[in-house]
Amino acid sequence: MSALEIKHLFGLRGVSKQDIRLILDHAKQFREVLERPVKKVPSLRGMTVVNLFFENSTRTRTSFELAEKRLSADTVNFTSSNSSVKKGETLVDTLRNIEAMKIDIVVVRHKGTGVPKFLADNSKAIIVNAGDGAHEHPTQALLDMLTVEEKLGTLEGKNVTIVGDIRHSRVARSNLWGMTTMGAHVTLCGPSTLVPRNTELMSSVTWESDVKKAVKNADAIIALRLQKERMDDALLPSMREYRNTFGITHELLECAKDKVLIMHPGPINRGVELDSEIADGENSVILNQVTNGVAVRMAVLYLLAGGRAHE
Amino acid sequence: MNKIVLKNVRPFVNGKFESPTTMNLADGKWVKEDLADAAVFDAGGALALPALFGLGLDFKEPLRDDIYDFKDGVDAMRRGGFYGGLYESSDNAIDDSRKLSAIKQISSFAGFAFSFLGAFSVGYKCKELTEMIELAEEGAVGFGDGNQDATRTRFLRLAMEYGSMTGKRFFFMPLDESLRHHGLVHEGHYADTLGMKGIPRVAETIAAFRILEMARFLKVPVHFKQVSCGETLKLIENAREQGVDVTCDVDIYHLLLDDSCLFNLDSHCNVVMPFRSASDKEALWQGLKSGTVNAISVNHDPVLRQDKEVNFEDAVPGAISLEIALPALWKSLVEKLGEARALELLSFAPAKIAGADSSDLSLGSKANLVLFNDKEETVVAPSLFAGQVRNCPLLGQTLSGKIKGSYLGGLWTEV
Repeated sequence: MSALEIKHLFGLRGVSKQDIRLILDHAKQFREVLERPVKKVPSLRGMTVVNLFFENSTRTRTSFELAEKRLSADTVNFTSSNSSVKKGETLVDTLRNIEAMKIDIVVVRHKGTGVPKFLADNSKAIIVNAGDGAHEHPTQALLDMLTVEEKLGTLEGKNVTIVGDIRHSRVARSNLWGMTTMGAHVTLCGPSTLVPRNTELMSSVTWESDVKKAVKNADAIIALRLQKERMDDALLPSMREYRNTFGITHELLECAKDKVLIMHPGPINRGVELDSEIADGENSVILNQVTNGVAVRMAVLYLLAGGRAHE
Repeated sequence: MNKIVLKNVRPFVNGKFESPTTMNLADGKWVKEDLADAAVFDAGGALALPALFGLGLDFKEPLRDDIYDFKDGVDAMRRGGFYGGLYESSDNAIDDSRKLSAIKQISSFAGFAFSFLGAFSVGYKCKELTEMIELAEEGAVGFGDGNQDATRTRFLRLAMEYGSMTGKRFFFMPLDESLRHHGLVHEGHYADTLGMKGIPRVAETIAAFRILEMARFLKVPVHFKQVSCGETLKLIENAREQGVDVTCDVDIYHLLLDDSCLFNLDSHCNVVMPFRSASDKEALWQGLKSGTVNAISVNHDPVLRQDKEVNFEDAVPGAISLEIALPALWKSLVEKLGEARALELLSFAPAKIAGADSSDLSLGSKANLVLFNDKEETVVAPSLFAGQVRNCPLLGQTLSGKIKGSYLGGLWTEV
């Protein structure tokens, strides 16, 4: 087995093309495992993985847990709502206590940017980022990449358009770093209050305020979830205007390629960022993304463990 | 010990460093007579600088003396060569004369020169005026905002209008809270890349402009603490041209660090006024050169270890600097601005802003000095710091120059 250059997965910014390739190739193999009658391999037998979720999550946590079980790891779920964190325990103490129980891998989701790196600095465990603030959500981007490759054969030279709340989206950040590393051309589009103002470090992508122009040459469109809090914060006037201006609708897709892939990290606000007929339509690959999520997470865990299971 | 003979030392006298000589120090003075019974310290050609003056001291007493107290603070000042400082606590507003009297008593360490800012609003809440006349009579050298947004415009007007009767200066950290909007770091490409909430420059410039307009209107002297961007310096220059009496300082770390340090996600870089871009840092240096910036502040703000040993966004903001300010800045200051201007910015000008006596060195007069070897190095280790706090953004770095000792308030401390 080739080894990853990275020791932890904090994000996709700075991760090499070789590492991403290795993860995607392994994910494709695990994708085949998931189609077998017995969907389980012994790769992580004897290893313990803790899912440390300080933010609510159903989809990502379930996907990780399934991936861990498919790899035969022992898994423990730890959520802030039922933990000593509620009693005022610090993050470091929480981690050290869990680590003292001899765990090997920590999958963490937290509202704070950089928490996975902070945990890695204070622990011997392998850390996998399952979403940190608005920073990165690398496994979501990897599963998006896997889905595009699965449907279109390659990412190289493909046009991927991400529409929505770019400023607050960890999915968008991970996708723009990962997709551009893999040779795709990424276009970002959203209301001016929901896109970053300082785009110098993201110069490898195209910024487009007109959604019709943004989707025109797209091979894949990723619609981002719009959170209701954005209205409370006066970043947008209404869901209605958002839907009419930036929503992925049948009318909008008339401006796009016939075979354009429609993607969404979920959960969907139907009728806001994505119309139901599009979410359930023939261009939609949203459920493929969900299946690929398990495969990608299996690949990430397997490769990061890097043979530790047999030490 | 209150007597010491410093041999092979180069004192800064009349604007320059003298050739290596011997300084006899006794009872807080540089004396002519031989001190036969005094200990001798060979300084090895080190510089004897007039001791420094720190703008922005917050030693947490009395409400948070579990974190830090004046004893720790004075220990830090000895280690860093500071003979005095301007005190203002953001946790503990000095909003009546009894509190000021009490804190003056707590801080009465022989030979140290503390000045105090009174709060102009009760609890820094900008709802009720404090008794500024009584505070001034008790010794407040000016009135401050406790580094909390004070730009509710009508209250600002009333506070400055009432306080103008005292003739004292108003001190502000210009930061519009509504534009800050939970931001922790400079709104720039590093914040956007990391997905962190940013504080735009306009949060500072809009607050500064409002205060400057009020100062012009009411003819009240003002001081800006911790200016962090070039645009604010331009506003200050324009206001001065219109006759506004405005002084300002820049924070030591804003001259050393910029927002590129965010990529390390080091919680020690979580400070109240955020580190801005490299171009802002350069503008602040230009401000020091042109004279727009009057002084360098230390903003010594102790934070407990456990409040920094968390991820960046959950860390309590604040940094300490007294112990390392001199080695952190001296080389750059001297290279860019010269020795005299360096001492002006670190010692004489801060003292003037705080209404304190300066620490000029001359034979036969009072001597507060810091012994500094600019040929040695300082490794910023936890053991450098006083008290139980370590919240320094330069931890682990190696700095040019090393403090060898200080003679403050008639007491020699070898560092």
